[in-house]
Amino acid sequence: MRSDADIKRLLLATAARGEGAAEAFEGLYKACSPLLFGIAQRIVRRRELAEEVLHDGFTRIWAAAGRFDPLAEQPVAWMAAIVRNRALDLMASHDVSRVDSYPEEDELDRLFDWSPAADDSVDAGRASRWLRDCLGELRPQERQALVLAYDRGMSHSDLAAHLAQPLGTVKTWVRRGLANLRSCVEECMGAVR
Amino acid sequence: MKLARDPNLDALCGEYLLGTLRGAARRRFERALREEPLVAARLRHWQGLAPRYSAMIETPPPASAWPRLERELGLSRYRTPWHRRVSLWRGWAIAATAAALLAVGLQIVPLKPTSSFAEIAQLSGPGDAARISAALSADRRTLELRATRPVLAGPSQSYELWLIPAEGGAPVSLAVLGSLDAKLALPAAQAARLTRGAKLAVSVEPAGGSPTGAPTGPVLFAGAIEV
Repeated sequence: MRSDADIKRLLLATAARGEGAAEAFEGLYKACSPLLFGIAQRIVRRRELAEEVLHDGFTRIWAAAGRFDPLAEQPVAWMAAIVRNRALDLMASHDVSRVDSYPEEDELDRLFDWSPAADDSVDAGRASRWLRDCLGELRPQERQALVLAYDRGMSHSDLAAHLAQPLGTVKTWVRRGLANLRSCVEECMGAVR
Repeated sequence: MKLARDPNLDALCGEYLLGTLRGAARRRFERALREEPLVAARLRHWQGLAPRYSAMIETPPPASAWPRLERELGLSRYRTPWHRRVSLWRGWAIAATAAALLAVGLQIVPLKPTSSFAEIAQLSGPGDAARISAALSADRRTLELRATRPVLAGPSQSYELWLIPAEGGAPVSLAVLGSLDAKLALPAAQAARLTRGAKLAVSVEPAGGSPTGAPTGPVLFAGAIEV
């Protein structure tokens, strides 16, 4: 994977639509498609659907590159959000059964890279550590609901079925999990100010 | 109602990022993202905290995925025009050719077109010593290429000879070559276009030649027709 600065350059060159825009977009594809394909596969669980998601995702990235804001957004997170949204749309329109088991142990640390990236600002590096710590402080069922929703793209009703709980209960876990996470992270931010 | 003033804005941002905001609620939120800068700014604030995925989840997509994207998006329109790259090839072709040139050794083959052939172009390549002489037979039916150094394509690649017409326009493929010492029969239509001001160039392509009908690989040798 290239650095965020490289990815930003490629995105901006893609957005410019000048000569060399296709080469920049190809560079973007080469650098990011394995990660984005991995994300899509974790959500849609079927390779041929993940291929559709990747295709549609990169079509949107090509079309929307001009709206990427290099000052405000992390380039890979921006592209990952596009691909995730596309995967969630597809799941909503396909009836895909979710019966696979999900290993909870260490999943958070296999799935995410909590170490600061080389070109992260000090703030971003700190925030990543806070988030990891705060996730660790959540109640286990709240944490599990958040991880399943984020990683596997599960909806409230998917979660209810997967965790064998009433819909209202998993909605509460998700809502409380997010609220606790937010106040924990805000506390960390407040503590350093 | 403005979503920016909704006391649940942070909670909505959270559920949107998490992916549990669905259906009409999600569409409403996305509309607010477009219409209310404060909502977009708040989302970005939380987005900045989203964890970075680990490289462990990377999965290479199938090789067919990129050509399909390239075709459907019509990306060829946004490629640096190939005839403009001819004068710029040096920087980016050297790496691709160095290995090939070294692999086949450095013996020099004297340039000596046979008598019935007249040289029409010199194609310069990476380094001063690497050149191809292109010579045309007296009846204009045969084109002969002679490289100052023998250059053979690797098993997974071919060389492709292109003609860029003097009047401009897309490069025309003249031949797919395994070696840069070659004699090829020219169709009459192509022979007529080998005129002063046209250019000849050699690119590296997948074995069997360019899959698209246009050059896809680096240009190794290029030169203008002088006579």
